[in-house]
Amino acid sequence: MIELAATSEIDTRKVLRLGAIAGITAVFVAAIGMVEVFDTRSVIDPVLSLGYLSLAWIPLLFGYRVTYEPVLEGMEPPRKGPHNLIGGAAAGLVGGAVLGAFLLVIDVIDIREILLNVTPELVGILGFDQSAAVGATILMALGAGLGAIGGMFHVLSDRWRRAVSSAFVWVLIIGFIELVLGNVFDGLAVGFLDDLVYSENRGVTIGAAVVIAVVVIFMHFQFTGRASRVRERFQALPENKRRSTGFMVATALMAVGLLAPSVFGPFLNEVLATVGLFMLMGLGLNVVVGFAGLLDLGYVAFFAVGAYTTAVFTSPLTPGDFSPELAFFSALPFVIIMAAIAGIIVGTPVIRMRGDYLAIVTLAFGEIARLVFQADWLKGTFGGAQGILRIGEGMIVTLFGYVLAGVGIVVGIIGFLRWRSARADDDASSAKTAGVWIGLGTVATVAGLLFPDFASWTVTGIDSEAVFRLVLIFVALAAFVSWRLQDSRIGRAWMAMREDEQVAETMGINVVTAKLLAFIIGAILAALGGALFAVKIGTIFPSSFKIVQSIIILVVVIVGGMGSLRGVAVGALVLIGVLGGPTQPGMLREFQEFKLLIYGVLLVYMMLQRPEGLAPSARRSQELHGDELKQDVWLGKDQEGED
Amino acid sequence: MTDRVPVLEFRGVNTHYGPVHILKDVDIEIFAGEIVCLLGGNASGKTTTLKAVLGMVTPTTGDVLLDGEVVSEAPTSYRVEHGVSMVPENRRLFKRMTVLENLEIGAYLRRDTENLADDLEQIFELFPRVKERLSQKAGTLSGGEQQMVAVGRALMAKPKVLLMDEPSMGLAPVLVSQNFEIIEQINEAGTTVFVVEQNANMALSIADRGYVLQTGQIVLADTAENLLADPQMRQAYLGEMD
Amino acid sequence: MALLEIEGLTKQFGGLLALGGVDFHIEEGEIVSVIGPNGAGKTTFFNTISGMFPPDEGEILFDGRDVAGLTPDQITKRGIARTFQNVRLFPNMTVLENIMVAQHSRTHKGVFSALFQTPGFRKEEQEIRDRARDVLGFFGTRLIGYRFDQPAFMLSYANRRRLEIARAMGTQPRLLLLDEPTAGMNPRETAELTGLIRKLRDERGFTIVVIEHEMKVVRDVSDRVVVLDHGVQIAEGSYDEVSTNEDVIEAYLGRPAESH
Repeated sequence: MIELAATSEIDTRKVLRLGAIAGITAVFVAAIGMVEVFDTRSVIDPVLSLGYLSLAWIPLLFGYRVTYEPVLEGMEPPRKGPHNLIGGAAAGLVGGAVLGAFLLVIDVIDIREILLNVTPELVGILGFDQSAAVGATILMALGAGLGAIGGMFHVLSDRWRRAVSSAFVWVLIIGFIELVLGNVFDGLAVGFLDDLVYSENRGVTIGAAVVIAVVVIFMHFQFTGRASRVRERFQALPENKRRSTGFMVATALMAVGLLAPSVFGPFLNEVLATVGLFMLMGLGLNVVVGFAGLLDLGYVAFFAVGAYTTAVFTSPLTPGDFSPELAFFSALPFVIIMAAIAGIIVGTPVIRMRGDYLAIVTLAFGEIARLVFQADWLKGTFGGAQGILRIGEGMIVTLFGYVLAGVGIVVGIIGFLRWRSARADDDASSAKTAGVWIGLGTVATVAGLLFPDFASWTVTGIDSEAVFRLVLIFVALAAFVSWRLQDSRIGRAWMAMREDEQVAETMGINVVTAKLLAFIIGAILAALGGALFAVKIGTIFPSSFKIVQSIIILVVVIVGGMGSLRGVAVGALVLIGVLGGPTQPGMLREFQEFKLLIYGVLLVYMMLQRPEGLAPSARRSQELHGDELKQDVWLGKDQEGED
Repeated sequence: MTDRVPVLEFRGVNTHYGPVHILKDVDIEIFAGEIVCLLGGNASGKTTTLKAVLGMVTPTTGDVLLDGEVVSEAPTSYRVEHGVSMVPENRRLFKRMTVLENLEIGAYLRRDTENLADDLEQIFELFPRVKERLSQKAGTLSGGEQQMVAVGRALMAKPKVLLMDEPSMGLAPVLVSQNFEIIEQINEAGTTVFVVEQNANMALSIADRGYVLQTGQIVLADTAENLLADPQMRQAYLGEMD
Repeated sequence: MALLEIEGLTKQFGGLLALGGVDFHIEEGEIVSVIGPNGAGKTTFFNTISGMFPPDEGEILFDGRDVAGLTPDQITKRGIARTFQNVRLFPNMTVLENIMVAQHSRTHKGVFSALFQTPGFRKEEQEIRDRARDVLGFFGTRLIGYRFDQPAFMLSYANRRRLEIARAMGTQPRLLLLDEPTAGMNPRETAELTGLIRKLRDERGFTIVVIEHEMKVVRDVSDRVVVLDHGVQIAEGSYDEVSTNEDVIEAYLGRPAESH
């Protein structure tokens, strides 16, 4: 009886439809070669390889979706029960059947001429090294089983659902990052843990997987809600306390960040430095696209300007006579100036353009920049297709004394400004504090200039630890700049311009200045990224600055969440850190071949399901899901004339 | 009476936007030849009702029926083909196209192309001024003429029921009265009209029946005369202060 | 001398004459209504004054200085602010931010002071915030308290109209151009706003030009009414004079306005 009641709640058409989609997805994953390439990599040894995992998530997801019903206001909440499991199993079974049918076909007919990845090895993997018929049956059974597990998530209570899914996710993550974690264990001098957690085949051992799952579930029940409570307490602090706490947390994070590379090992440092580069550029593009709403598809141009300026000013092998051979930090001011000029050059002609037109023209600018650097008539300066070698001569010299002097000047200026405003307000005690600032600033400046060599810090491009630290400092700087600007008069003007340019103008905003400023700041951040890139690699060619770079930076910003600083960080970590940059590997090196495919799938999925990005700004998520929030209008709390 | 099939019917329609409940058990019946108005303030659910008629919103529960046929899940084009068309708020003509082109677009989904010429003639009979302007760009017409073209465009689809979205919104007094004259005129010519309006006075003066929508619920449904006399109505929607 | 003095204002779009030589003037402290049928050129009139497009011919003297051909931001800075017929707020900015951003042309702090949050920067921010609160307070309890931090799109329709007026006030103008401020409001809201328009002049000292279709509002707020049709002025005078003028009845009212 129960069975009957349950089955009556299952929508057969939906089961068939989602089951078929699941099956086709699985066939696609198999046919493009993912399963076979990933099969060599073990995640949970010996039961689950990355190859099988690339299929297993499909019935899990669709098994969950097939009986999913949203909770709707004013309606009965969706019922839970055996129908969730049965529906999931049925969808999984259909999916398994589709993949099974594919297996039977490729077992008999060789279609390698059309799909060259459909190899006999694939037949072996899909069929579990049994005959095709047996293999197909196993696939169907597994599909049904996994589908039922997916459906089971509905039946679990909210807490358990979250606990179990995070256990799943953590086991997989730890399985994935074997190489990285191994390095970290070594760095922390606890290398023995490596042998404990991982088998020789690089996956986690079953025992370790169970332990991880239990620990994660336990932690989940222990600590859920802690984070939000901490945040609430932080928000409850008075303004000045919040500032100082925030400052302390930021400093502590920065210190950890600067120390961490000694533990991370070369591979992770390399990956994180790439992530940092993209974060830097993402932050810059975020100013242009996210804050000011100017869709710039040729952003790579500024990156190239930064890289080439650094190259010309630091390399002893510049193609022309102009070869000042400056140190990296001495070249930076020129990078900033060139970037600002480039920002104005690109920005000026497109000032009156909007939307699509702006995107198309900037796209062209991106290509023009690359062609200029590649052109024969500028070969004397930029080296044409041969590029420029030995940039920064592999050396990035930081003269601590100069840094000290720079900080001193800034402190002195701030002190002076404070002193002036304190004097205007007749506030003696503030004036005294300001005096101390001025004093400290002066001392630091003088000391720095007297002993520029003091505590010099030499970095070479191949020293991954140092490069990582350098990148980290720049990213922190860029984040600081974005954060301060966002919440200022300029930031508000950008926001207004993004919302409605014409109205912004009638509200007194000079859009020409505001747009140029956005372009210039974006250009400078990208150029700094380019400068770091140049010294990190040591050699640049025009081919390093293709359109795909612009697009990937944009994807980082979109996937993370436009207009959100946290979003850029998350976007860069997920896309670049996990999957890898356009040419650089990420933590999952196995994904290399399929990187662009996964980017694409992720982008489509995000646009459909979560257009505000992974870590959106509050503003943005309201914008895109705003109508759902208009509750107080709907519930009549805002009835006119009644308040 | 009871066996008459409504041209347009809502049976217990509920809609949601995200998790938010918008229309709550809305029942509406419109019979052939009537002018029915739907009254309500901003954010009362008027627009959502129209979207549900046109198929831009699918009911979570309940059904939308066109001439007795359930069309709750059917796409907009199907519904337009089977008898609804709309005169949007602010007319929304294709301003750079000529008047004739605008009218022809209205008949886009029709299969009986041989009758188009006759239908055009009928529209010219209704609005002789439209005929004089056929080759003019729609954007250069005066407000009243634009309204005629917008109605003509909708009529070209041969609707069983014509939807009018806020025909008085933002218009000069003279245009408002012209608009309502147009509605009466096409109704006399046999078209069923469903007017969605905020200006209750004006709408009720020409309608046979009216529904009053408030935060997604029908709170009043009656003949136009009764609604005009209803004290609650006078206070909330007709602008009488006491 | 009149605060705004316009002579022979002409604007063409393609072959269409939107404004055909309009003369107009408004004294400091006056409220003038501009009425006319749709397509009469009223909104074009506002767009031209506020600099959204330059006039083809004619003079616009504001406070004795010619402002024709200036960009919208320059005109705002001179002291003219406007609202829009179809409510064009910055929907994703909060209520408070909408007013804060309107003060752009009255404030100065740039990138460097923002980066280092200099004392001058903080002081200016505080002033911007205070002024925004003050402006919003003008609308009673409707736009204050928890509303400050709500994005503008979450407001009810009538509140959005009010916020648009508040935003125009935020630019600290002398002349306010209100484009159909009561459109789409219910009778009660309309009555309330009518009172507010008078208060804008009486308490805050703004000079006001208002485009309106609701004749009750026109009657209650205007010192003077100007009627446009086909881009030219067809009548001008007190409400009573205009509402009984034959040309106006024919072109605009359709029938004599009810006398109250």
